[in-house]
Amino acid sequence: MNRATETQTSETGLFELTDDPLDTAAATAFVRGAGDGAIVAFDGFVRNQSHGRATQYLEYEAYKPMALGKLLEIGAQLHEKFAIHRVAILHRLGRLEIGETSVFIAVSAPHRAAAFDACRYAIDTLKRTVPIWKKEFFADGAVWADGELPPLPPNRKSAS
Amino acid sequence: MKDVSPVIRVRVLFFGQLREFVGFGEEINDLPENATISDIFESYERRHPKLCEFRRSVVASRNQEFAPWDSTIAPGDEIAFLPPVSGG
Repeated sequence: MNRATETQTSETGLFELTDDPLDTAAATAFVRGAGDGAIVAFDGFVRNQSHGRATQYLEYEAYKPMALGKLLEIGAQLHEKFAIHRVAILHRLGRLEIGETSVFIAVSAPHRAAAFDACRYAIDTLKRTVPIWKKEFFADGAVWADGELPPLPPNRKSAS
Repeated sequence: MKDVSPVIRVRVLFFGQLREFVGFGEEINDLPENATISDIFESYERRHPKLCEFRRSVVASRNQEFAPWDSTIAPGDEIAFLPPVSGG
């Protein structure tokens, strides 16, 4: 199996899709700056059950180039909307076991309120707009997780 | 000389549940000029009649940006059909 990692970094953002375990310490270190006073991080990890059924493991699939582009867009939105310093958004792909981190977001800011707000905005927007899909495996079968339909631009005819 | 109507060659991608349903993740498709994203999806509905049950819960993208169903396509476009997303 060929494992893959795709990363985009800038002075103020780190974005990654990877088949490997997420390096949450490195992401936290990336956002930490001398002028900051706070980092808020979100660590999303694999639950042991779904709607009362015992989960065995999960598999994540992504439309990788588009997903990475959408993560970059979220980063740009955070810098527009909130007084933050840096952001890191990492998402794991492939097979994940119970307890493993699937998504990690860290945001740094001079003051905590902006970091909390931006981190919440980032995970909520990711779940609604980034083309990644989760399949849940149980003892007696597998299902694609219920997802959210991203908002689609209106048809051109009805939009004009 | 034969009267050959021009075709537009695009790459079509399916993901998640849709990929499993149609049985492949990617293929090249030739479409008539002025075809829309909706026309592409309908061409797959003819091959997989039950695909129409998914239509309400599918969004499309064109060259990695979400796109309305009536978007017209251009040669070399990458069109993807995406079920509801469930990352995180």
